[in-house]
Amino acid sequence: MAVPVEEAIAALSTFSLEDEQPEIQGPGAWVSSESAATSSPIEYSDVSAYRLSLSEDTKALNQLNTLIQEGKEMASVIYTYRSCVKALPQLPDSMKHSQADLYLETYQVLDLEMSRLREIQRWQASASSKLAADMQRFSRPERRINGPTITHLWSMLKLLDVLLQLDHLKNAKASIPNDFSWYKRTFTQVSVQWQDTDSMREELDDLQIFLSTRWAILLNLHVEMFRVNNVEDILQVLIVFAVESLELDFALLFPERHILLRVLPVLVVLATSSEKDSESLYKRVKINRLITIFKNDPVIPAFPDLHLSPAAMLKELSSYFQKFSSQTRLLTLPAPHELPPREALDYQRHYLIINHIGAIRAEHDDFAIRFTSSINQLLLLKSTEGADVEWSKEVKGCVYDMVVEGFQLLSRWTSRIWEQCAWKFSRPCKEFSPIESNEAPTSFSDYEKVVRYNYSTEERKALVELVSYIKSIGSMMQRCDTLVADALWETIHAEVQDFVQNTLATMLKTTFRKKKDLSRILSDMRTLSADWMANTSKPETESQSLQPGGDESRANFFYPRSVPPTAAQVHCLQFLIYEVVSGGNLRKPGGLFGNSGSDIPVNDMKQLETFFYKLSFFLHIMDYTATLGTLMDHGFLWFREFYLESSRVIQFPVECSLPWMLIDQILESHNAGLLESVLIPFDIYNDSAQQALTMLKQRFLYDEIEAEVDHCFDIFVSRLCDIIFTYYKSWGASELLDPSFLFALDNGERFSVQPMRFMELLKMTRVKLLGRTIDLRSLIAERMNKVFRENLEFLFDRFESQDLCAVVELEKLVDILRHTHDLLSKDLSIDSFNLMMSEMLENISLVSYSSRLASQIWSEMQNDFLPNFILCNTTQRFVRSSKVPPAPVQKPSVPYAKPNFYCGSEDLNSAHQSFARLHSGFLGIPHMFAIVKLLGQRSLPWLIRALLDHISNKITTLEPMISGLQEALPKSIGLLPFDGGVTGCMRLINEQLNWGKKSELKAEVLSGIKEIGSVLYWIGLLDNVLREVDTAHFMQTAPWLGMVPGPDGQIVQSHEGGVSPIVQLFRSATAAVIPNPGCPNPASFQTMAKQAEAADLLYKANINTGSVLEYALAFTSAALDKYCSKWSGAPKTGFVDITTSRDFYRIYSGLQIGYLEESARGRPNNYEVLGDSVAWGGCTIIYLLGQQLHFELFDFSYQVLNVAEVEAASVSHRSPHSSQGWEALLEAMKKARRLNNHVFSMLKARCPLEDKVACAIKQSGAPLHRIKFENTVSAFETLPQIGG
Amino acid sequence: MARAGGITNAVNVGIAVQADWENREFISHISLNVRRLFDFLVQFEATTKSKLAALNEKLDTLERRLELLEVQVGTASANPSLFNT
Repeated sequence: MAVPVEEAIAALSTFSLEDEQPEIQGPGAWVSSESAATSSPIEYSDVSAYRLSLSEDTKALNQLNTLIQEGKEMASVIYTYRSCVKALPQLPDSMKHSQADLYLETYQVLDLEMSRLREIQRWQASASSKLAADMQRFSRPERRINGPTITHLWSMLKLLDVLLQLDHLKNAKASIPNDFSWYKRTFTQVSVQWQDTDSMREELDDLQIFLSTRWAILLNLHVEMFRVNNVEDILQVLIVFAVESLELDFALLFPERHILLRVLPVLVVLATSSEKDSESLYKRVKINRLITIFKNDPVIPAFPDLHLSPAAMLKELSSYFQKFSSQTRLLTLPAPHELPPREALDYQRHYLIINHIGAIRAEHDDFAIRFTSSINQLLLLKSTEGADVEWSKEVKGCVYDMVVEGFQLLSRWTSRIWEQCAWKFSRPCKEFSPIESNEAPTSFSDYEKVVRYNYSTEERKALVELVSYIKSIGSMMQRCDTLVADALWETIHAEVQDFVQNTLATMLKTTFRKKKDLSRILSDMRTLSADWMANTSKPETESQSLQPGGDESRANFFYPRSVPPTAAQVHCLQFLIYEVVSGGNLRKPGGLFGNSGSDIPVNDMKQLETFFYKLSFFLHIMDYTATLGTLMDHGFLWFREFYLESSRVIQFPVECSLPWMLIDQILESHNAGLLESVLIPFDIYNDSAQQALTMLKQRFLYDEIEAEVDHCFDIFVSRLCDIIFTYYKSWGASELLDPSFLFALDNGERFSVQPMRFMELLKMTRVKLLGRTIDLRSLIAERMNKVFRENLEFLFDRFESQDLCAVVELEKLVDILRHTHDLLSKDLSIDSFNLMMSEMLENISLVSYSSRLASQIWSEMQNDFLPNFILCNTTQRFVRSSKVPPAPVQKPSVPYAKPNFYCGSEDLNSAHQSFARLHSGFLGIPHMFAIVKLLGQRSLPWLIRALLDHISNKITTLEPMISGLQEALPKSIGLLPFDGGVTGCMRLINEQLNWGKKSELKAEVLSGIKEIGSVLYWIGLLDNVLREVDTAHFMQTAPWLGMVPGPDGQIVQSHEGGVSPIVQLFRSATAAVIPNPGCPNPASFQTMAKQAEAADLLYKANINTGSVLEYALAFTSAALDKYCSKWSGAPKTGFVDITTSRDFYRIYSGLQIGYLEESARGRPNNYEVLGDSVAWGGCTIIYLLGQQLHFELFDFSYQVLNVAEVEAASVSHRSPHSSQGWEALLEAMKKARRLNNHVFSMLKARCPLEDKVACAIKQSGAPLHRIKFENTVSAFETLPQIGG
Repeated sequence: MARAGGITNAVNVGIAVQADWENREFISHISLNVRRLFDFLVQFEATTKSKLAALNEKLDTLERRLELLEVQVGTASANPSLFNT
């Protein structure tokens, strides 16, 4: 069952091969099946089939091509030659006796290298003689063989170029003569024992002369050529050919153009140095044309880091070629370093890409659009059945035009890069870059001068842009290779057939009718390439087209065949056209096509010329992928063998490497537009590695490139991640700033973030690097996961080095980080923030409720907050007491981190810091919010438990002290007498409250009570915050759970069908979706419905949360129960015992008046030591012991106040001075009473004493409300314990 | 002077050229389609790679979550007494 090939192939396109990855890298993989038409793959063996008697020419041509290949390999040997001498070891003194062995070893090592040089010497001799012989054979005036063909001319030029390059390299590489002289030394040492060394010595001398003579190869070539004096003609032809090709500049891609430019000076020197009349050249080519060409390109790239300058070369050669030295006009051309400043500036303007980048950008955009649209047309054509022939021809012709244009664009752009490099190499930077002024300016190597500091920021940017244009256009063309191939072939076929069948037919009938010999050539052209039968598939027009010229008015119409002509056909056609225009005479004056002496009409000449040049371009198009590969190859940007040698280093640092400089530039610039091209410079590395392996064939170069790429890529990824993280962080931070505030701000834009796009980079799952495929996305994700964790770690470290007030800042920063995570995870899949958070908080364990943060908060409270902070009841804030000597707390110093670990940019950091600073001086409601948010439901109970335990421990430690104080009090204390007035009262109090030895306990008890009060107040604040949070939570969940307010304001469940709205919703959705046959995954809807039920249950259970404060009070009360008997002497009589001194309130009352007195006596620091929490602690204990009424009745200060009131009422008729001096104390007492009353009223509200109620938490975590229970501490065991 | 254009047996050459055109049409047809096959394979590889990368990413995430769960279960099973009450 044979399936037609087209159908089978077309079926492949029905596979859906969507690829997520954007095209922001050059093509890494080539599938090239073309047999490289530019150089015939079968060595023109098919030429003989056309019976043009070209066999001699073909043979010579193939010989030259082989030589070119060999020569290129020789050149790469010399180019990559690295000095061996530098690596030779020096013998220490102790081993001098084995010097001879060393010489032998050295000799053997060097011999291998020198044998290569000897080979080069031999090769160049044979190549020169072969080239000279070739030229002589084909330029005899009495020609007996056909040729030279145009291809042959090209091969001569190329071979000349190779020889020239070899010579140039040999001159430039200083290490070769060095190595050689060392070799010779060792040879003389070693050869002492040898016999018969004369021939070797001779050979060595030969080689020495060859290596040390400048331009030895060219001189040798000159000698070989002019052995017989008839090569001038062919030299002139070559010059004419080169000049005309350069001037026309149509069919030349940049490698060919550079070859011609390099060879031309040599040709001129050779042609003018002959024995014969040297001026005959200028009869064919005006000297001004040559000078213009030389002037247009003062520097020509030769090797990646080596350039040629025609002017300098001519000057140097003039001293070797006597005859040429009379050519003063050519010799006065300025070499690049001699250019007058103004001209140099002009050239600079021409060479620097930065001056053209605007135009290039426009060209790129325009071309990309037109190319894509022509491809779209082609696709449309292919999908249309039975398309109109004319239309099809037009579309395909358009594609062809676009490809030609694309090749020319790419060629022009890449040659710009080559030429800019050459220009830069010819003009090293003189002044040193100011950026690195701190370095010693003396230590710059030559390579740094020509590369590192020779490209300004803008120039690097332009270079990146241009390289990415080339790569993107190139890969665009590369991608549609197989799509356009047949269209291109068809168009080429049509062009050729149009020419041979129509144009030639017309010519034969008109102008060439009389000229038998010329018309024979023309008909030969038709014979060897016409495809008369191309239309057999369309028999209805067969008769018409089969009769060439049957209808005069109508051109031959032929049906397209998508086959290009072979290289041999093109070769023969070019040869024949050349024969027609030159008449087979090399001496014919004038140019190729531009001669006026010919008898061919201008019109026909023009047509022949156009077709001639078109033919040479066909070869490039037939070589589609290979041509693209050459045009996109930027590997040369890395190589620096020449400079390596002259700088005497093994390798330059990575900062000197041009590709890395470009990457660095992109990363530094933070330019959103450039960032997407950041992978393009890695293509340069790919190209260089390819060149090292396939062209230079040197493994060590590849190893060096690989090492550099490995290094660079690591740095690149880490820096890229840094940039991405910083960007998202600043974005997140700026979004969290208050927008209305920013709007009102004058400099608000400082806090906004320049948008950047990382999406494309984040989609790169296959970065092609030296044949490897790297998943950049996963690398970034991996690093991001790490950096988020590090950031959290840093934030906690930072918090641990600060006090508890920093919790607001911490919460803010964690919030920013969380927001950053949200933003980033839209583009990249990273671990969930909660996961990372719990990992960093170290509370992933199922059985532990503490976390790093909770234990830090707790230890901070224990060590710093409770002893050192005092409460201000009015502001509801705790502030650090200035009077308490700060307890020495060991804290780690604040860790340093880059700005992106805070909020991203410096500006945002300062904005958020000024916000955080507002909260750094106190602890209040905002801090509670932060703590609640950070600890969450998981660790908060743990903290509360810790605090409650703290209370109970404090009570236990207070108990013996209070017993001590109880002992110090008199057995009974009566009411204060009114008759003594305030003064009398105070005296009495002071008598009674003589604590004696126990007075040192006072302060300790007070601070203990203060801590208890602080904890209780803290829990009170927490309770407020939790209420608020719970309420908000309730508002959000209530509608889903079907909670509605009842008639009396209580919560009523509104049940429709017994289920809450959320369950109802999902159930009905599931019921509606599942019967639908289009539903892809019904099971997931059922799962969702089940989960809705679970959510319903969970949220309903959490609706009524208890009060933490009530719980804490109940707990305290339970803890106090143990001491109830000790601290409140239950009256045996059942009446109120007025005189008892054992009750706790007595102690507290005494302590209170003591410190009130102290503070009234001008020692105000007492308040600043204790704050308002003493009242909270004392009153709470009193209240919970049930002694509130006793306290209010019998408190010393209250009694004094009563006395003072009575005194004040009678002040008019009693001694006016009785209460004088006590105002301050009385004021303090009043204040204390107000505060105490406030505390009592709060306690009454929150913890009604009548029925000791509190809430408890069941084993399951669900709270029980308002249950009655026995007050024992063990009833509270349900809260998680420290260490649990 | 030896002039070019001496195709000695023009008719035979013409017939051979004609046959050559046709043969080459067949060859270029085959080679182009082989290239298209290659192209398809290259593209297929690219697509597969990106799909595998996506899969890998998901597996990575799952793996880390699984690790976390394992640790959690580990902490729980290390203290069996907590679950016996």
